[in-house]
Amino acid sequence: MNTLELVLSYLTLLSLLVLCAFILTRKVVSILPFFTIYAFVLLVDMVVVWLIYEHFGFNSLTAYYSYWVSILLHAVARSLAIAEMCRYGLRAYRGIWALVWRVLAILSVLLAARTIFDARGVPNRVAIYGTTVDRDLALASIVILLVLLLFRNYYGITLEPLQREIALGICFICIVDVIGNTVLRNIFTSYLVSFFLANQETVRSALNPIFQRVSDLWGIIHLFSFMITVGIWCYALRKPLPARQEMPAMLPSSVYRDLSPAINMRLASFNSRMVELLKP
Amino acid sequence: MSNLAAMIPVVLAISGVLIWLLYSRKNSAGSPHATAISAIDNGLPAPKHFRYFRQIRQALSSSDAEYLRQNAPMYVAQQALRERRGVALDFLKGLHEDFSNLSRLGRVIASLSPEISHKQEAERLKLTAKFQILYAVVWLRLYTGNLPVEQLERLTGLISRLSARMDEAMAEISAQAAGQFHEKLGT
Repeated sequence: MNTLELVLSYLTLLSLLVLCAFILTRKVVSILPFFTIYAFVLLVDMVVVWLIYEHFGFNSLTAYYSYWVSILLHAVARSLAIAEMCRYGLRAYRGIWALVWRVLAILSVLLAARTIFDARGVPNRVAIYGTTVDRDLALASIVILLVLLLFRNYYGITLEPLQREIALGICFICIVDVIGNTVLRNIFTSYLVSFFLANQETVRSALNPIFQRVSDLWGIIHLFSFMITVGIWCYALRKPLPARQEMPAMLPSSVYRDLSPAINMRLASFNSRMVELLKP
Repeated sequence: MSNLAAMIPVVLAISGVLIWLLYSRKNSAGSPHATAISAIDNGLPAPKHFRYFRQIRQALSSSDAEYLRQNAPMYVAQQALRERRGVALDFLKGLHEDFSNLSRLGRVIASLSPEISHKQEAERLKLTAKFQILYAVVWLRLYTGNLPVEQLERLTGLISRLSARMDEAMAEISAQAAGQFHEKLGT
């Protein structure tokens, strides 16, 4: 670990401590329990990985495995925080929520299947599996957030400021993860592929400095962008949380049953006239 | 490298859309409740741009154009025809507004309903997408002069007749829905 990585690690730890302090003082757990868990998972993971580095050494095999386990743990905690964000605020709109959760669940299954399919066939090494799975889960997070926002925007249900900043932070770190892991995976499976193959000890030791340099560079980029994300969340929590929005009063079911077909009929009439207009 | 070259632009484009959606204020104006209550109290919003149909029809009539070509100096006639096209484009924009208002009302009602039909929602989404495409094609053809402005008469005439019939039907449904809604809210 070089000096820059060390400084960034300290700063990240500090920013995570500030974030967790904000989360506790603002009582975020009462509205977003999974986001709270996510933040604490990040903090605890960072401390545990740090202790492993201290005890076993930065270049040890234990440190290597613990790093990748922590990355996957982050991805799982992040997925739960995103699922919570999908549910929060939308479940009050019962009709829309019934539609949205089904679409998002199908999409999640498809994206998870894509992750498994993508990870299959890569050389049997943790680093390549890790980069592939982490990249695909980050991409899945972006797609799920996108679909959620499209639904909310379409139905005119805006996000509260706190949720918006949390989504922005998640989106930012996911973009960096997707791009970074794609680059990393490309390097691992092309220039450094011999490093991961069995029975290539001589080549492996020759390529080890390059592998370490690439990992260090990615570590710096990841830590730096992670700090920005934590900064966005801290900024969102700088003020006390506003009162929760009131639950909307639902219309009688008959209003939708009667008006919706009529509206669609009228919209269809606009379209058929537009088509007629284009006829010679 | 092809994986990399394909992945990065796609991710950046998706992220751009995502950030735009996060900070877009398109749908924040007006409370959904107020819109829905107003709709069920007053019926569906009338396509207000049809109100000016008669004046528009006169402005776009072929006899007017012919008269201009025969009696006015060339530059005056050309200027007038350009303006006619401008009027037609503005009118088309108005139709778009009518469509958007109606579609938005449909979405607001759906969002405030305890249960919705997936089929109805999918249909409205399809209709909206189709209208946007048709609107773009008609706009482009009008703008480039490939669509005689007289054809707008057909569109406006048919829609206004249909709207009048629809309003009668809607008045009955709205009265019934408003009664139930106010009863539920205790107002």
